[in-house]
Amino acid sequence: MNEEIDEYDIYHQDFTTVSDWEVFIARIEEILNEWKLSKSNKSKPIEYTKKWVCKVEEFSFQGVKFVLSYHTLEHSCDVEGSQESDKFIRLEIQNGLWEATSRFMEDNDGSPFPVSNWYGLKRYLMLCPSIPLIDGSLIKVIMSSVNIAFANVDCSVPLFVKIREHWQQSYLGFYEDNEYKTSFDTIHLKRISNQCSHLSGLISLFKSKIASPVALDTVLVSAKYSYELKDSEPFVWKKTNTTNEFLSIDGFDVKKLTELPFGSDKNPINSILLNAIWPRFRESTIVDSSTFSDIDPIMAPTWTITLKMRDNIQCQLSETIAKMMDLLDNNNLLMDTLGLSKSLGLVNPLHKITEAPITISKLVKAAIGQSSNIHEFKGPISDELLMPLLYYIFPDAVDDATFKYPSQLEVEFKQADSSEPKLCSYIKTSPEGGLVWRMSVTAARLYDAGGLLYLAHLWYEFTQELQYRWEHRILVPGVAEGNPNARTCLLHQKLQLLNCCIKRAQDGTGSLTGTSSDDEYFDCSEDEDGDEQLPWNRPVGRLHRLGDATLKSGAPLYVPRTQDPAPKTEDQLEEDAELMVRLGDDARASELRARMMSASLLSDMEAFKAANPGAELCDFVQWYSPRDWKSDDGGALGDRMLLPGNPWTETWGVARPVPAARQRRLFDETREAEQVLHFLRSRSVSAVTDLLLPAILKAGAAKAIAEGVQGNSSSVGGVDKRRTFEIAAREIHEAEIEACRSLCVRTVLEKSVEGMPLDAAGRTRILNAAGGALPAPARREFSLRVKDAIAPQVMRAALGTDMTIIGAFTESILCL
Amino acid sequence: MNNNEDNINNGMEQTEKCVEMAGGGDPKWQKDAADQNFDYMFKLLIIGNSSVGKTSFLFRYADDSFTSAFVSTVGIDFKVKTVFRHDKRVKLQIWDTAGQERYRTITTAYYRGAMGFILMYDITNEESFNSVQDWVTQIKTYSWDNAQVILVGNKCDMEEERVVSAERGRQLADQLGVEFYETSAKENINVKAVFERLVDIICDKMSESLDSEPAMLAGGARGQRLTEQPQGNSNPNCNC
Repeated sequence: MNEEIDEYDIYHQDFTTVSDWEVFIARIEEILNEWKLSKSNKSKPIEYTKKWVCKVEEFSFQGVKFVLSYHTLEHSCDVEGSQESDKFIRLEIQNGLWEATSRFMEDNDGSPFPVSNWYGLKRYLMLCPSIPLIDGSLIKVIMSSVNIAFANVDCSVPLFVKIREHWQQSYLGFYEDNEYKTSFDTIHLKRISNQCSHLSGLISLFKSKIASPVALDTVLVSAKYSYELKDSEPFVWKKTNTTNEFLSIDGFDVKKLTELPFGSDKNPINSILLNAIWPRFRESTIVDSSTFSDIDPIMAPTWTITLKMRDNIQCQLSETIAKMMDLLDNNNLLMDTLGLSKSLGLVNPLHKITEAPITISKLVKAAIGQSSNIHEFKGPISDELLMPLLYYIFPDAVDDATFKYPSQLEVEFKQADSSEPKLCSYIKTSPEGGLVWRMSVTAARLYDAGGLLYLAHLWYEFTQELQYRWEHRILVPGVAEGNPNARTCLLHQKLQLLNCCIKRAQDGTGSLTGTSSDDEYFDCSEDEDGDEQLPWNRPVGRLHRLGDATLKSGAPLYVPRTQDPAPKTEDQLEEDAELMVRLGDDARASELRARMMSASLLSDMEAFKAANPGAELCDFVQWYSPRDWKSDDGGALGDRMLLPGNPWTETWGVARPVPAARQRRLFDETREAEQVLHFLRSRSVSAVTDLLLPAILKAGAAKAIAEGVQGNSSSVGGVDKRRTFEIAAREIHEAEIEACRSLCVRTVLEKSVEGMPLDAAGRTRILNAAGGALPAPARREFSLRVKDAIAPQVMRAALGTDMTIIGAFTESILCL
Repeated sequence: MNNNEDNINNGMEQTEKCVEMAGGGDPKWQKDAADQNFDYMFKLLIIGNSSVGKTSFLFRYADDSFTSAFVSTVGIDFKVKTVFRHDKRVKLQIWDTAGQERYRTITTAYYRGAMGFILMYDITNEESFNSVQDWVTQIKTYSWDNAQVILVGNKCDMEEERVVSAERGRQLADQLGVEFYETSAKENINVKAVFERLVDIICDKMSESLDSEPAMLAGGARGQRLTEQPQGNSNPNCNC
């Protein structure tokens, strides 16, 4: 080709390229130049990472598509302008080739083609035709064409062409510089030829290929015999507790049903691969010929084990979770499943527990006289199964302390400063092992076992029991104390709120008996003031003195007993916020909001007036908002309290002296409790699932952690609830598979590491499990190597059902 | 009168959109494709002791007005302002809270959905500065974990009455690991800057959070990651 013309011209002015093949060559040259792969390129990589990166270029030739790709380990360090470029590159290839023989042909180095692993290459070019190259003469033409392109560019990277059928791992490759040429050959046969079926045959083939004029050094051999131990039964790791037999067995163990299943119920091991390895021996030490062999795998210096797991390991925990997640798409009312629907309110609540053989006394009393005339709902779950479950969820209903909740229910929150977030830490929690956990896990297991009917029945009994407890003022056990905590899941908040109601109701009828036990008394409405008004001079509802503060009148200032703000769950707070937002943000809306918010202000003012007869607004402000109080003159209002039309003055104006105990309640426990119960009863299937899933996922994560999974948690924020659930379910699934795998590995390998030499005990264990003798090897591999005067020469053979022999032979091309 | 009703109606329309965004408990920043008025909505809260100037600060920002005496806020109130940030319309729903001790329970109930807090003290009032730590505890207890906080020392125009030096404010902010500004709602010093900075911090946090969970962006099948590409892996940062 004319040296004066650059590639651009060659490509477009076809008159210089006379044959089709020259166009082919020109195209390859163009690509190689574009990738700067000429030896003249000054920058040379000297250090690599373990990550393969590649460049790809496609082109068509005579209707056949060719893909030329350049694969290299990512360079971590390049060096500029090495003078002895040829030698530098050659040594890198030769060293890599020699080192590669300490690994095995089927190892995977992460590159898309096996040649890098076979020959220890860090960089290579690969040309793949879209049709199989079978025809020998065509292969020759292509090989010589790429050879010309390679030489023209003075390419610095070995080049391979994929030949034969696509499924065959057959590649022809070469690399050359001014002095040497290395050929990388592949032979692939569907059957093992007789000559190559044993080591001595391979050695003579190797020697004949080298065709050395002088005597060679001793050939070094490494060998690997692979055995596939299909019968992995002796190592089966079984976690049982998932069978649904409990449905038919009397006196079953509640624990069986209430604990989440974990792991795989089928043997997750597909097979155990045993490699017997002879890392290095001299050709004469071991004899292996067509007539005699003293290769004995039991004597091999190294055994390694790799486990092959089944592709789709069915993990029980994830299955259970996935089943529940599917319910998120079901928008029917859960109670409709039982045909109860909204008519539930009419069904007289009488709980199963009231009929139980062992029951706390007040429950029994309550049951008397009611049980006879009530149309009782019969659910699909038999009483023999249902009762123990309910006693497990509500253990305080039974004298037996087996399932008692811990007295201190700690809610564990994600610590902002904790470095390692736990699995699923972004899912809202509830006290571990508390009622919400028990209920949720039981629900998931029942659903798994008996379908939606069972879930619905359990939910029905659950809400009935809550109703019963509200009516009889019995606290719900296993729920954290106090007001609804927005950091816990919604179901837990609802139960906290219900307990607040029950507690309030207990106090209402219990502790205040001294004055009046009539419920209506506390429900007094505003227009009843005639009877209830107290004389102005009799202070009521004092809590304590406020330091030595005095009223403007000089009398001591007392802090009144006040009503606590109504406890609310997060959905209620959202509703409140929504309502306020709906008003808009102009001045009038703002005023409206202030009015809406002044209920507790009014209550406090009334209590204050009751505790401090004759007090003025400035006295109240001194306690309530001290920075709006001025000490001048025994007490005066600050500027902003004097603004006309301000809600403080207005509210003060309408406030009457009423102690907190006699005020209209800010928190109406009856209404709130009924709302909670209605809320729970009237949920759709998907909404109930929403309530149950957080604890199921949390319990699942806790289970996985207990099974020894490290598990890392994503940082999840700004996504909706559904998506959060999905992310959590995925994380648990990954953790579960990992746990299955690592448990299997531990069972089989005990202290040894997968893929690393097995200890003596391990070898005995494996051999015993295999029945004392190994089956015929599934695959044999030999690597032969020798350094002659020119370079390392290498041949490797993998003999299984088919046969692959590869070789890298280097010859001198110096003209003598 | 007519005028007033119009206002309310407009208010209703506007707020419907807010509600969609505010629902669901945890903060959200999903883009609402149907909405033409904004791309994101951030809920912010202004907290701090009584009479440190929270309401004035908010009115200065939202209405660019100043009145020396606002009625002491009863409970909680809010204002809306839409700003542009990185070519995106960000609607700020800014909640103004009562600072009085008795209102703590009511106001902390609103912490949870908030993405940002402006924690304010009054540089002329030592007590309000001493309470900052308490407020931080409140935030830690009741807010979302990733909520962003800026510490603000207000009323910096009242230099003669200053009792908290800027240096002390800055030290406290460093100690708490939050940013710090001294502001004056009256003289309009740094008011806009505080809000803009807070929006920026939230935006940063938001992209960080999205980066850490690429599957979320794909929105597709469970566990789907950027699909493995056997060839053409030209992006060195891609860890597939």
